Amino acid sequence: MLNKGLLGQLIQTLCCLPGVGPKSAQRMAFYLLQRDRQGAQRLSNTLLTALEKIQHCQHCRTLTELTVCEICASSSRDQSLLCVVETPSDAWVVEQAAFFKGVYFILHGRLSPLDGIGPDELGLDLLEQRFATGSIKEIILATNSTVEGEATAYYISHLAKKYQLQASRIAQGVPIGGELEFIDSGTLSQAFMGRKNLD
Amino acid sequence: MTETVVECQPGFILHHRRYRETSLILEVFTRDYGIISILAKGVRKAKSRTAGLLLPFKALSVSYCGKAELKTLTQVEAQPIHTDLTGLALYCGFYVNELIGRFCHKHDPHPEVYADYRDCLMQLTRVMRETENPAGFTPLLQVEAVLRLFELNLMQHIGLALLTEYDAHTEAPINTDAQYFFQAERGVIEHVAGTVSGKTIQAINDKVFTDTQALSEAKYIMRNVINFHLQGKPLKTRAILAKIYQQL
Repeated sequence: MLNKGLLGQLIQTLCCLPGVGPKSAQRMAFYLLQRDRQGAQRLSNTLLTALEKIQHCQHCRTLTELTVCEICASSSRDQSLLCVVETPSDAWVVEQAAFFKGVYFILHGRLSPLDGIGPDELGLDLLEQRFATGSIKEIILATNSTVEGEATAYYISHLAKKYQLQASRIAQGVPIGGELEFIDSGTLSQAFMGRKNLD
Repeated sequence: MTETVVECQPGFILHHRRYRETSLILEVFTRDYGIISILAKGVRKAKSRTAGLLLPFKALSVSYCGKAELKTLTQVEAQPIHTDLTGLALYCGFYVNELIGRFCHKHDPHPEVYADYRDCLMQLTRVMRETENPAGFTPLLQVEAVLRLFELNLMQHIGLALLTEYDAHTEAPINTDAQYFFQAERGVIEHVAGTVSGKTIQAINDKVFTDTQALSEAKYIMRNVINFHLQGKPLKTRAILAKIYQQL
């Protein structure tokens, strides 16, 4: 009986969230309705406003309610240093680490020929237009370390070469606090190939 | 259906897609069981030990079990075969994977295709590594030669071998000084205005490509054959690779 009506509909709708199954959705729905109606009100209002206002930044294509996001508009950021990432959440992670002082470009995906995703589907012409403006001096390719990520990085590095930009790929290797014993052979070989001189 | 348990089966991942929060669904091209869909549970986690292994173009030894169509991965190890595709070769790897996916069917074992696929990946790895090359080919042409050889072998092993041994009309052996027309369903026919040289046909029969003309004509022939057998369904990777090549 509970599966019908508005309550059932709410539970079903909550299931659209990642990692939320029927049971968690049920708990959420009951909690919001029984214990925290104000919170539910806030949640629904914020959700509505966010849906209405949050769009892609015109420069970096990250999610923002502004036409140009804070990072792209900031004068304290190095506008000549561009970090290319796959998703807004990747940019968010880099931003949280708080060491990168340049700007971002979000691909919203990766080159995946087997899925029919090529340069046009990714909107790489937009990135090329940005290269063409001449404001960028260096790009850092921070795509994932998967074959698709590598394919994307290789392609963009060639695009960058056309505009005489310096392109670099993020390093791969032993994580901080990582013990060699537990590292897979692929990562270990990358770590050896990308070793650094100790000064 | 009975429970299948397969241990330490050599295989390559052709394609992977994300499934739920932490899992992957893999299309694995195994040596003795053909293409199998395998679910790898919980591998997309921060501390995952197998995430670095479960990538396309890596020689693996997979163990899996399951009753249904989608099997569950139980163990995976790397095989000591070095395949590391970079740059141009990486894009070609995607193309080869799509060819396998289109021409080999699920649960249809092709050990010889598996061996060719492995050799193809090893050659693609080598081509991108080596600085000097015997025939004076650029890396692009070497890659093309590797791809043509793979395509020829693939067609042969799955029973769609090219009809290039004899002239389809006269049944005369191939004359290397003559010109031929090629049709995927009929074979080669000698004609003065033919688009393919006898030398290329001979190169295809010998599976040795030594000059650029043979390579470009063989490309035309193989494209013709593949399009014919795919019956109008285009290869996704081909269109995208063409775009990528334009830029590179």
